[in-house]
Amino acid sequence: MVNAGKQLMVGLGVLLLSSVLAISCYAMDYPDEVEIDVLANLYEAVVFDHAMHVDLTEGCADCHHHTTGTPVLNEYCAKCHDGKEEMDWVSCQDCHSAGPVSAENLNNPKTDFIYHNDKPNLKAAYHLNCIGCHQEVGGPTGCEDCHAKTEAGDEFYRSGEFTPKKSADSSGH
Amino acid sequence: MGKITRRKFLAGSAAGGAALMLTPAQKALAAGSFEGFPEGMGVLVDLTRCVGCRTCEAACNVEQKLPEPALPFDDTSVFDEIKHGQKRRTTDKAYTIVNRYEPEGADPIYRKIQCNHCNEPACLTSCFVNAYKKTPEGAVIYNEKVCVGCRNCMIACPFHIPAYTYHSVLNPVIKKCIFCYDTRLKEGRPPACVESCPQQVMTFGKRNDLMKIAHDRIKKNPGKYVNHVYGEKEVGGTGWFYLSNVPFEEAGFDTDLPNKPIIDNVKDFLAIVPMVLTIWPALFTGFHLLATKGKSHGHGDDHSHDEQEGHGK
Amino acid sequence: MKKLANYGVTPHDAALKSDGQKWSLMEKLLLGLTLDQYIGQVIRNKFNWILAVIFAIGIPVIIYRFIFSLGSVTHASYDYPWGLFLGFGLFCMVPLSASGFMLGTTVEIFGRHDFEPIERLALLNGLLGYFFAVVYLLVDLGQPWRLSYPMVYSFGPAAVLFLVGWHVATYLSVQVAEVSAAFFEWIGFQRGYDFIRKGTIGLTVSGIILSTLHQGALGALFLYAPGKVHPLWYSSAFQWMHFFVSSIPAGLCMVICVSTVVIYTMKWRCDQRFVDNLDWITIALAKGAAMGLSTYLIIKLVAIAHDNEWAYLMTGWGAWWLFEIIGFVVLPLVILSYAIRHKLVGLCRIGAFITVAGILLNRLNTALIAFNWKLYQEIPHQLEIIISITIFAIYVATYRFILNRLPILYQFKGQADK
Repeated sequence: MVNAGKQLMVGLGVLLLSSVLAISCYAMDYPDEVEIDVLANLYEAVVFDHAMHVDLTEGCADCHHHTTGTPVLNEYCAKCHDGKEEMDWVSCQDCHSAGPVSAENLNNPKTDFIYHNDKPNLKAAYHLNCIGCHQEVGGPTGCEDCHAKTEAGDEFYRSGEFTPKKSADSSGH
Repeated sequence: MGKITRRKFLAGSAAGGAALMLTPAQKALAAGSFEGFPEGMGVLVDLTRCVGCRTCEAACNVEQKLPEPALPFDDTSVFDEIKHGQKRRTTDKAYTIVNRYEPEGADPIYRKIQCNHCNEPACLTSCFVNAYKKTPEGAVIYNEKVCVGCRNCMIACPFHIPAYTYHSVLNPVIKKCIFCYDTRLKEGRPPACVESCPQQVMTFGKRNDLMKIAHDRIKKNPGKYVNHVYGEKEVGGTGWFYLSNVPFEEAGFDTDLPNKPIIDNVKDFLAIVPMVLTIWPALFTGFHLLATKGKSHGHGDDHSHDEQEGHGK
Repeated sequence: MKKLANYGVTPHDAALKSDGQKWSLMEKLLLGLTLDQYIGQVIRNKFNWILAVIFAIGIPVIIYRFIFSLGSVTHASYDYPWGLFLGFGLFCMVPLSASGFMLGTTVEIFGRHDFEPIERLALLNGLLGYFFAVVYLLVDLGQPWRLSYPMVYSFGPAAVLFLVGWHVATYLSVQVAEVSAAFFEWIGFQRGYDFIRKGTIGLTVSGIILSTLHQGALGALFLYAPGKVHPLWYSSAFQWMHFFVSSIPAGLCMVICVSTVVIYTMKWRCDQRFVDNLDWITIALAKGAAMGLSTYLIIKLVAIAHDNEWAYLMTGWGAWWLFEIIGFVVLPLVILSYAIRHKLVGLCRIGAFITVAGILLNRLNTALIAFNWKLYQEIPHQLEIIISITIFAIYVATYRFILNRLPILYQFKGQADK
């Protein structure tokens, strides 16, 4: 059986967001829809309705911290960033590394920003941001509400066609 | 007569003493306080992030080549499983599990349970064949090949972690989380559960660095966390430690654990061992010489005649 | 066996037969009866019927355990890794076997040779108790064939169990040596007998050391579980003392109990010396037990005071603790004191039985009942109970087998006259 974790990492090699997010230059010039497929492996890519979220949120900084040139909402970020200037990087993966947190990464931090020492990896950045907000506002929070499980996912979770055949009482002690 | 007896006695006690010297009198020299290997790795577990998806359980199952589970890993009905009034615990078939707790007046909270890889593990110090080892990388691993199956480590573990393959006939052994030592940790990679987590509930790194991050998170997010890092001091400090937004006892943690390592409870007793070994022979020799002074020193057989002396019948 | 005289035979009780011939081993084993006579009396004995029923059920279950794993005869509990096999077999059998070193000390160290009539019974009681504690352990260990690992292969010297293992093993050898004196006498190996007698004091002193340590160590084993054992049964400072001190009345009372059973059921085997001396010895042992019990009671209370656990006494667990202390420590203490003062042997025996029951209750409380008090209580698996009873029955049968034969309750006639 293929190591699911490894597969995930291979998936990370395909660092391509199909959107034009990375080259957006103006605060208001955003894509209506983003397909997030960098990490797709156990689950399909997420088709993210960016336009809808723009309408629903208070401001870009709700998700994009201080990088979009709009007022910074998080107090902690605001201590250093006035948010007046749009950054060169706006897309999540520009800052949040997709690689796993490893001892090596921790020993050789790739960032000079001492206050960014507790930055989640890309997968966590997506999930924490999305689910965190969805929990507050009552958005969908189930795994398959956003992305369908792939066959690899079914194998990994022993679900779908890979569901254990044994009766439930085999749980033993 | 007295002379002969004394020589006889000394010969006898020397033989007894020699046998005793083979026993571990040096035990009491166990180390003082040990705060963990400086470069030891750890994991910071932030319960506020966990959504109970059980991906870590699935990842552990794959990585450790564990048997097929009874239910799929995305089945959340396991959170309602209650046995003997208890929620699920680690078993020989599942080295990590996630439980759901419902604190009063707060959202449900999920807690991942696995070996906490103590700095000074109770399992290790309780094992009479020294099967356990705390590696410099921070993992508490064990050697199945010497496990006799006394299950003292299961008694000793304050977190109820080690499990036993009771149903194996020929090779029953202890089973528990080993921090993915063999396949990952010794190469500097995080364990499978940490890597698989979609929410990065777990952050992997040097224990010392992570402890700072843990306190930073409490400081940076006023009001979000309980001001306590569970595992920083508990039972002498654990390699895996926890942040929570609800009091830890409401998330199923045992908050009565002492801050000193479990072995500290036992050290007082271990200290008396060499004392008894050295003082008793002299003491009881003395008693013997005092008690039998001036009396006949023979044994058994030739005493049937004076058996009734010295007591009112 | 009472009808032995009906056969017109005297049991094997001297090195030589009355006609001056040596006994053959077979004759010794059959107690001087013919095979038919022997089998006849075995079958007539009702107690053997009970044993037969227990063995018929229990021995297959023990075999079943070794073929189908420990999990097949226990609840395979992760929370209660130690069940009856250790909770009863190890933690109860060992204190009840403290008699060996107690009487050894009295007779050999303190020179109280007047206790000699009971000394061998006490030594045998010690040996068998330890031996069967190890048998229980072998049934409980996942891999009993690795039992020698902590001795020769992989040392864990920081562990209390390592100490227990070494000391029980060493002490068992010491006790085998002590009891072998009787065995050498029985098989007629005079040189072996003389050799052992020479080392008696050394063996006895080692016995005291080893007993002090491992009786205490059994208590210290629970020091690893500060959060699991209920505070009333746990004391980080005094746990080993509780176990050691309570083993003194336990061992002494066990000897009283065994001698009581013996005098009522095996009187034919006891010689006049044993019969004549038993009454005052019972009272003397009861005195020792009463002293031990009062010390034990005080240090139990000291432990509660030390950790300031009085509040627990108001809880349900407190009531259970008080039941144990009042019903099985204070009550036998009162009974024994009264019986000693008025020289009532029968009452001493009742007190002794209650004391033994109290030790069983205390050890079971610490190891099983008040263990995991925050989680749940578990009733042992029925097969686990059957195995425990069966091993105990084997213990009783072995005990009787040896008492019937070796010069424990009687002296070889030649020896006594020497």
